[in-house]
Amino acid sequence: MELMGDGLLLGRMIAGDEEAFTLLYRRRHPAIYRFALHMSGNVALAEDVTQEVFMTLIRDAKRFDPERGTLGGFLFGIARNHLRRRWEQERHSLPLPDDADELDSLLSASARVGRNGVSNGNGNGNGRGPFLLSRDEYTSLETVGRVRQAISTLPENYREVVILCELEEMSYEDAASALDCPVGTVRSRLHRARALLVEKLHDSQPVRRASAVGE
Amino acid sequence: MKEQADFMDCVEFNEIYHDLDRPGTSGFRFRERALAHAESCSSCGLLLTDGEALDFALHSLSQHNAGREAPPRVEAALLREFQASKAAGSRRRVHGQLAALGAAAAILLALGLGVQHRIASQPHKATPQEANLATTPGAEGSAAAAQNEAAVSEADEDEYAKEFVPLPYADDPAALEGGAIVRVTLPRSALPSFGLPIRESDGTDRVFADLLVSEDGTPQAIRLVSDANPN
Repeated sequence: MELMGDGLLLGRMIAGDEEAFTLLYRRRHPAIYRFALHMSGNVALAEDVTQEVFMTLIRDAKRFDPERGTLGGFLFGIARNHLRRRWEQERHSLPLPDDADELDSLLSASARVGRNGVSNGNGNGNGRGPFLLSRDEYTSLETVGRVRQAISTLPENYREVVILCELEEMSYEDAASALDCPVGTVRSRLHRARALLVEKLHDSQPVRRASAVGE
Repeated sequence: MKEQADFMDCVEFNEIYHDLDRPGTSGFRFRERALAHAESCSSCGLLLTDGEALDFALHSLSQHNAGREAPPRVEAALLREFQASKAAGSRRRVHGQLAALGAAAAILLALGLGVQHRIASQPHKATPQEANLATTPGAEGSAAAAQNEAAVSEADEDEYAKEFVPLPYADDPAALEGGAIVRVTLPRSALPSFGLPIRESDGTDRVFADLLVSEDGTPQAIRLVSDANPN
């Protein structure tokens, strides 16, 4: 059964097959959870949204139309709607990394550096070098924290395309289906979001990078 | 320097350089030309380097979060919900089946009662004798009324009339054989239209009557029935 496609599993799930539902959940929920987590920056909210998405699937699975997109896109669309509803209800504003205690101090340091202004941040790529020095640096927790921080400060419609297309490696078509917008819109939002991210990451370069540039 | 780049300028490069590694996009399709342009254009080269750095950073974040998922309690809660939903669905199906059975039983009962009532309300078929008495082809209204009055006056004990009187427009005496008798109530004021006299009222405005109906459904003859003993 594990080799079955989403459509078959969904059909069996609708017929009452608990194992099919479990497989479908285990296959699809991590991406939904991560999407909710990146969008909200809140673990509890991400859990709630994940649960709500699959509750909706249990109650209303027949709403899924394979001709309109993939099951993944359908679930992301539900997650997005739940997130928006929760934000409307709670007026929670977001986004700080939630769980990474080890990153907090690093993020604070990054923010301080950003305020001090390392790069010109004009976004056209002129007059500055790449925003990080080495690939070793990218692999550090610090890099992860800075990228996460930068994503969390993007406007919502840019944040969601970055999460879907970059972090979840979704195609433009699937993302368009999930976000209920044209493919061209996804593409242009992602283009703009990436430019913003580059600027933000330049602005938050660590101290040692600033020193290196100064030298 | 920018002009030396083959087949691609900075504007084009700017539009596609984010997609160089994304299959199915124009960036992927023109990757080689974009790279050639970046080699010959310092500002676009810097954009490309930033883009690659961002890709790597995003990939790092993606890898860092790759194993993240909702805690097991979410799955447990969803399984409980699934089981509850499944049980509710089964109950709904059973209720639906019971309701369908109940409806079918009610329909059968209604049909049975209807048939029984129909049989009870048709005590006998019109006999040839009755039919003969009721046939006066071509009878005019006044003659029929006189005949009717005579018939009614002869039978005033249990019923107004024991015999059928042909209706003025009855034109198919043969059809009375095998016809059916249908009991109806009529307004007393309607009796003259059937060629019958209005008799003294006992206080009611309606009278019982049996209609002899031919096979094609046309009333052919009528007899009044005593109010006191309509059956």
